[in-house]
Amino acid sequence: MRDPQARMSLRHLQLQLQTHLLGVPSAIADAIVDAPPLPVLERLGIYRNAYQVRLIEALDDTYPVLHAVLGDEMFVELGGEFVAAQPSSHRSIRWYGSQLAQYLSTHPPYAEQPIFAEIALLEWTLAAVFDSADATPVPRAALSSLDASAWAEMRFEFHPSLRRLSLQWNTVAVWQAMSRGDTPPDPACADQPVPWLLWRQDLQNYFRSMTADEVVAHDAALRGENFGDLCEALVEYLPREEIPLRAASLLGAWADSGMIVALN
Amino acid sequence: MQLAGFGLGLRTPHYEAVLGETHAIDWLEVITENYLGIGGKPLHYLERIRERFPLVMHGVSLSIGSTDPVDLDYLATVKALAARIEPHWISDHLCWTGIEGRNLHDLLPLPYTEEALALVVARVGQVQDALGRQILLENVSSYLSFRSSEMSEWEFLREVAQRADCAILLDINNIYVSSVNHGFDPLLYLRTMPSDRVRQFHLAGHSDLNGHLIDTHDHPIVQPVWDLYCAAVAQFGAVPTMIERDDNIPELAELVAELQVARNLAARHARQAA
Repeated sequence: MRDPQARMSLRHLQLQLQTHLLGVPSAIADAIVDAPPLPVLERLGIYRNAYQVRLIEALDDTYPVLHAVLGDEMFVELGGEFVAAQPSSHRSIRWYGSQLAQYLSTHPPYAEQPIFAEIALLEWTLAAVFDSADATPVPRAALSSLDASAWAEMRFEFHPSLRRLSLQWNTVAVWQAMSRGDTPPDPACADQPVPWLLWRQDLQNYFRSMTADEVVAHDAALRGENFGDLCEALVEYLPREEIPLRAASLLGAWADSGMIVALN
Repeated sequence: MQLAGFGLGLRTPHYEAVLGETHAIDWLEVITENYLGIGGKPLHYLERIRERFPLVMHGVSLSIGSTDPVDLDYLATVKALAARIEPHWISDHLCWTGIEGRNLHDLLPLPYTEEALALVVARVGQVQDALGRQILLENVSSYLSFRSSEMSEWEFLREVAQRADCAILLDINNIYVSSVNHGFDPLLYLRTMPSDRVRQFHLAGHSDLNGHLIDTHDHPIVQPVWDLYCAAVAQFGAVPTMIERDDNIPELAELVAELQVARNLAARHARQAA
């Protein structure tokens, strides 16, 4: 007669194996056939090792510059810690690692260098920009052809790839240098966080910094406010008579960059 | 139109080469999860490639043997992708990948019990209903087996296919890898398969770790796997065959040359099946 471990229910068996693979001791070894060519613990070790290696490889795919900045040893150590702390619940391994920036900003020794978390945030965001859903941009000509009376009530829908970031460090300069294989500048903290706009146009990723007035106008547009509200948001930054021209110019730039996909 | 001939697994480094000059590739297999709910370059290439090549979809996260409920949201995204790229068929693996909402991103073996059989048969039915089509299930490489098993893996696979009315994707390399790791006769595995349900063959390389094998898909196909492939062709005939390479990916031409080896062997051995 088989012992109780051999007869455990499928649910219980899966729970025991999963628990083991996630790094917590379980009684799963008793349920596994012990026969050549490998001892049971080595058989389990193949799966345990594959789990860690696969998820660290997924982090490497998404965070190549962070890997380069940390070096192989520290990146693999970080990967091991993160994998132990964050199991995956994604169907595609592509989405694993979304919390890495937060992990870096809250765990020593990484948190002592805040630029590490910002590099991770930038790389995660660029990956999202790269393969987020498609949408057809509205050309600038469509804006120009609008009847003047329609402008005040007009609302704007942005491309699904569009993201905003606020970076306190010279993260973009470091990322650019590392991506080119150049020596990066030393980390430097700005007096104020710099706002960045990231988006995809014609299958290419783009990013640029934003001026303070563009940030408030863009915030308003993202909140679904209309052109009139967007102009009102600029009151703190410009004399009233200059606002319509500036707002139209911002909209034109967004349209030229393929960021606007619908006018409502 | 029925799918026939010899294909490759579509991999990102080969996007441009696949679309470039003409290659002796009859069809391509795409990893389902790589294209779910996304846009940009990956989907752009997929759309262009599908204009040139017949496609099949191959999933890695169906987790047909999981004791969690079937994930209908996931199946809806799979179905939406299938509606877009019109694959000849959709396949996944006879395994489980996690429970309690977790994904271990690995193809974990099942105990081959009546309990597991009933569960998998019921779930294949749910999946085929949700997708509105028959699926193919593939045998996985495994490194452990369970003491509670009441039948062999090949009997379990045959029973799943027959009771759930699904088709079989027979991975020749996986049969060989598991036969070494568990000490069974790979030819017995082949002989047990129901001929009318075997729709596709996978071929791949593996790593030999001094006495046990790991299914790494990072090497060329080895002779014992070619030998087993010849036996499979002799038994099942001209089943659509493809090569998977997931790591240490060479130039496309090198894989096309390896595919030519499969063509030549199949031409020689399919006559026996006829």
